[in-house]
Amino acid sequence: MTAVEVKNLSKVFHRGLGQGFFTAVKDVSFTVAPGEVYGLIGPNGSGKSTTMKALLGLLAPTLGSTSIYGIDSRKVEARKAVGFLPENPYFYKHLTGLETMLFFGRLCGLGGKPLREHCVRLLEQTGLADAADRRLGGYSKGMLQRIGLAQALIHEPKLLVLDEPTAGVDPAGSRKIRDLILDCKQRGITVLVTSHLLEQIQEVCDRVGIMASGRMIKEGALKDLIAVDDQFEVLLQNTDAALEPQLREWLAQNYPNTQILRAGRPHTTLERLFLEVTESKSSD
Amino acid sequence: MFHLRRILALASNTVTQLLRMKVLFFLLAFCVLVVAAGFAFPAVSEAQQLKLLKDVSFGALQAFAVVMAIASTALLLPKDVEDRTLYTILAKPVPRIDYLLGKYLGVIALIAGGLILMDAAFSLVLYIKQTIVIKEAVDWFVHQQQGQADAAGIAAVTADLEKQGLTWSLHTAVWSIFLKAAVLTALALLISTIASSTLFTIITGFAFFVIGHGLGLFRDYFFQGGISRWDYALSAVLSILCPDLGLFDIVDPVLEGHVPSVMAMSTMTGFAVLYIVGYLTVAHLLFVEKEL
Ligand SMILES: Nc1ncnc2c1ncn2[C@@H]1O[C@H](COP(=O)(O)OP(=O)(O)OP(=O)(O)O)[C@@H](O)[C@H]1O
Ligand SMILES: [Mg+2]
Repeated sequence: MTAVEVKNLSKVFHRGLGQGFFTAVKDVSFTVAPGEVYGLIGPNGSGKSTTMKALLGLLAPTLGSTSIYGIDSRKVEARKAVGFLPENPYFYKHLTGLETMLFFGRLCGLGGKPLREHCVRLLEQTGLADAADRRLGGYSKGMLQRIGLAQALIHEPKLLVLDEPTAGVDPAGSRKIRDLILDCKQRGITVLVTSHLLEQIQEVCDRVGIMASGRMIKEGALKDLIAVDDQFEVLLQNTDAALEPQLREWLAQNYPNTQILRAGRPHTTLERLFLEVTESKSSD
Repeated sequence: MFHLRRILALASNTVTQLLRMKVLFFLLAFCVLVVAAGFAFPAVSEAQQLKLLKDVSFGALQAFAVVMAIASTALLLPKDVEDRTLYTILAKPVPRIDYLLGKYLGVIALIAGGLILMDAAFSLVLYIKQTIVIKEAVDWFVHQQQGQADAAGIAAVTADLEKQGLTWSLHTAVWSIFLKAAVLTALALLISTIASSTLFTIITGFAFFVIGHGLGLFRDYFFQGGISRWDYALSAVLSILCPDLGLFDIVDPVLEGHVPSVMAMSTMTGFAVLYIVGYLTVAHLLFVEKEL
């Protein structure tokens, strides 16, 4: 069974009286297998958050459907297995960190002493132990992001949906979040994540989908996507500085001692691919 | 079972939220007002002193209940939408009806708690005042009769004032205020599921409050010449569109010393429950469809 299934999802927003419609997501399909880390990337306004909201049942799809572990997103049961971190999360300012965690735990039907201990543990894991007794009104942006992450993990979900988990978090904190995602992956938790930090996506994701203007324009396993077809990579040892087009031939003739260690398709960075496909998309 | 826990978590969160907005200062102000009203008008007659104390206190009770019902409800839902706190809540396995009920019960619980505290403070002040006033009146009566005052005369003076003092029927008036507030809260919640702003909800809520009080008058005016079937239908439609808040106006008669019958009280409560269930049902129907 797939963890996440998005089937021909389209979402049209009404722009208020007489202002027509706006299609934020157009016919997007993808699936995420259990245990996989799936990255959704795309420029601002390309429909990533909208797709996630539809997946969580916060928005009703105009066309198509979404499901989580086989249960339609519109059903409440679908959300039993999901932890969600919305973009720029805001919580009740009047609650302290610990109270916030207890509140969300109770919403998931948890309670009692185990819940309290679990909350304390999660706050420690996200580096908020010191701030647990402070009200959220006084939290910084990065701290809110972290409590959002802690809150998403409260009921030990099988699927984590993270909308820009590292936005506004400092480099050390964002490395911690990356480690946390890898840790989740190790424990078999499926992760669906969006981020504008492509380096991190490249580090953690098994598969990625690239969205632009509401469409999925490229999708697949990360290592396939960033492999470049029409190029050739040569990793040389003991080489001279000069590298020429007919290297192999030339090598064989002139440098019989030089061995080819690895030959194959070189990888570009996800970032370069991203710019390439999204720019060609916006120019046509 | 889990539903109950969730609803309670949401309700108690709502109560904490409102409490931490310092709404309880109102209660403090109320106590000061009641004490001041209790001891500030020695110039008028004894019975009038008691009446004044009751008038002022009940005015404040009503204001508290109505303002809390409309304004605090209006603050809650649109704020959750604006702040996007709703995303995180509804992304948990929380049915939307649980969310609405939690908010509703939270506001209601706070109003009930406030009314109970205010009722207690007011009753205490009224009782003290009554004791003092009766003693003065009896002294005056004895003095006037120049030692010839009989027990029956004293009892009559006492009974007269006691009718103006602390009676059980006063608490039925508080109950009617609570019912009115509960209906208004449900209505405000319904409005706030459609409205996108707090201000809109507050203004519309108060508009309904004003119209709701005028509904009885309106009906009387139009149906002077006998009641036909159409008149019934029209009045029924009106009462559905806007709560007939006149139903809950028993405060004035009670303050004048009338005691409402058990029948009247249960009818009033029944109407309130009908309105509340109706409004919450519509609110839910609108809220499940709401795009966030
Ligand atoms: N409730 C709404 N009403 C109208 N339009 C909306 C609504 N929500 C989103 N949109 C529009 O849909 C488009 C996609 O928005 P979305 O938030 O999904 O983008 P995104 O890919 O998450 O962008 P970002 O990287 O900036 O977070 C945007 O153009 C946005 O203006
Ligand atoms: Mg987004």
